[in-house]
Amino acid sequence: MTSKIKMFPGTPLSEEDFTEGNVLFNVDQMRGDFAWDTGVAIGAYLAALKEGMLLGARCATCRRTVVPPRLVCEWCFRPMVDYVPLQDTGTVNTFSLCYVTWDVQRIKEPEIPAVIEIDGASPLHGIMHKIGEVEPEKVHIGMRVKAVWRPPSDRVGAITDILHFKPIEEV
Amino acid sequence: MSLLERDLSAPGSWSGSLPVTSRYSYGLAGERFFRAIKDEGRLYGTHCPKCHRTYVPATSFCERCLSELNEWIDVGLAGEVHTFTLLYVNLDGTPRQTPEIVAFIHIEDGGLVHRISEIQPEELEIGHKVEAVLKPQAERSGSILDIRYFKPVHRQE
Repeated sequence: MTSKIKMFPGTPLSEEDFTEGNVLFNVDQMRGDFAWDTGVAIGAYLAALKEGMLLGARCATCRRTVVPPRLVCEWCFRPMVDYVPLQDTGTVNTFSLCYVTWDVQRIKEPEIPAVIEIDGASPLHGIMHKIGEVEPEKVHIGMRVKAVWRPPSDRVGAITDILHFKPIEEV
Repeated sequence: MSLLERDLSAPGSWSGSLPVTSRYSYGLAGERFFRAIKDEGRLYGTHCPKCHRTYVPATSFCERCLSELNEWIDVGLAGEVHTFTLLYVNLDGTPRQTPEIVAFIHIEDGGLVHRISEIQPEELEIGHKVEAVLKPQAERSGSILDIRYFKPVHRQE
């Protein structure tokens, strides 16, 4: 439809109009500061990450272990009372090779975001993280991976306390 | 685990900042309005002959009858305080000792929101005649801040 329109109504502006001062304009920067309450479950999860541990929560009724932990089981709506430490290993459930950064800059070496099913959590339960120390073309679904942690002194209680997951060398 | 059992040593909140930047061009009428401030040091309005209204800042269309406006008139630099407020807090939230006065200044059938200065807050009244104090031409950039502030007009004795 729009391809048939030769001239759009209005006054188009190009980047040069701004850089060469053809038009007056106002540049502004708003402050978008925010603080998000971590709550009980994610607070405990982040505190555990600082200690170098992945924390899950277990629903005794549904016999299900989830990660990250949450206060209420979304299957049966009962409180999740048991917080359990999980392994820092897992299996790639799905992944992507991403050739743009979050602010849309092209990159040569792709980032590899993946969903990783964590060992100790129920099947198909996992977290999203990056995969590293691997040739992008060798990543596959079902690949076994292990977390690479920041040194303890650098950890702040964030998901980035895990730098990435790297493949486990099969022996 | 209940809310009362919250681990107080755990990270309580997650802080961040969203980068939000904007670049706003003033449009056809706005461009001409701000150019006039920058180059001539004058305020312009547009007049609708059908509705007998003069819009300040100048607009391309009459907001009442939607007809296109081509009659640009110099409305002078003076206006009347329509309403005002005293600000005791800076933009960054720090307190101010002396308040800043911000007012809506009625000019013709429109007006501008701007600072008022050269008057004590307790002397200012609604209806006060004020006029724009402009920056010297070399410092003007085509912004509403090319008007430094509005100052009271003292009646000719």
